[in-house]
Amino acid sequence: MEFTEVIGGRRSIRFFDPDRPVEREKVQKILEAMRLGSCAMNAHWLRAVVVYRDQLPADTFEKLKLPVAGVLMELAPVHIYCYGDTSVIAKDHGGNPKQLIDIGALAPSHGWTYRFVDEFVWPQLLEPLTTSPNYPAAMAFDDGGCATLGLLMAFNEGLGACWSAFNTEAAKEAFGIPDDWIPHYLMNLGYPLESREAGGQRPRPPFEKLYFEGHVSKPFRRDEAVVEELKQRKMIQAPAPLPGRQQELRDLARRLGLPE
Amino acid sequence: MLERPIESYESVVAWEGGLRGQWGGDPFAEDPAKLQTLAAFCDFIAKDPDALVAFCFLRKRATGERFASKQRRDELMPKLKEFEEAAGRGVEARRRRSHVVSFLSHNGVLIY
Repeated sequence: MEFTEVIGGRRSIRFFDPDRPVEREKVQKILEAMRLGSCAMNAHWLRAVVVYRDQLPADTFEKLKLPVAGVLMELAPVHIYCYGDTSVIAKDHGGNPKQLIDIGALAPSHGWTYRFVDEFVWPQLLEPLTTSPNYPAAMAFDDGGCATLGLLMAFNEGLGACWSAFNTEAAKEAFGIPDDWIPHYLMNLGYPLESREAGGQRPRPPFEKLYFEGHVSKPFRRDEAVVEELKQRKMIQAPAPLPGRQQELRDLARRLGLPE
Repeated sequence: MLERPIESYESVVAWEGGLRGQWGGDPFAEDPAKLQTLAAFCDFIAKDPDALVAFCFLRKRATGERFASKQRRDELMPKLKEFEEAAGRGVEARRRRSHVVSFLSHNGVLIY
């Protein structure tokens, strides 16, 4: 599938085939994609625990569910619990930027030297970052970027996925999560029972309300020729609701015995 | 046993309105099992439909503000499971549970 179509075809899929297992190699591809995401200082805070729904003890599974995610978790055969490991920077002690210097990703042309890392980056940036109230937000930004690569890979592999919250205390106990991991979200994963369009592309705020050029008073002007090109390349797709969506939802609910 | 026809309860009227708004048609005429199942569940827990919805909400002592109670949901869930399992397993049993869940959802109570 073309990159643009993967982006455009992604939906939060909420109806999975509960009886169709996901191949382990596809799960691995999702994790491989997450691992290649961009991270400040190459820190890679993101941690993921893959859990197969049918291998969970029933009482554990019940505890993991939250009301808004219960049905989703029951339908998805695979759950990928995502966390941020806050201990990464403290353990690394400036090692990651030095590794980036060694492999030629960072260079003196941009000020990067071992000495700069020892004298400034570690003591004045990274170490204070670990105790800053902004640290979890900074980490979560990068973790979200990495996790999104995994999400797109899922769709590239013909799967469907949807993020949800989960019972973090129950997960910590069930999966042995360390104290310094911060819970993010859970990727519910499986083969979609919904149509590929899943009712159409979801509404988004107007482009010009979100993005600006030079100053927040100046919206980034949207070039309709670009929009047209992205429609041709299937990134911008027909907006929801598509005709027949309500019937599709009702049919899915009835097929699965879900509430209407 | 309910004291009056089940369709006359305010919460059942709300359920019907919700179903009609979502899916159109005449939900109870098209699928009589919905009301039959709700009536059976009401018998099972010895509450009428309005009382069942009211049971799921409490009021904060300090402000009197109404809120959906987790404690009440936790009390109700095993009953719902028991009710479902009385019909066996599989989609049909799940559907039995789902009619009750649908009733609660359309009355603002999320249970799973």
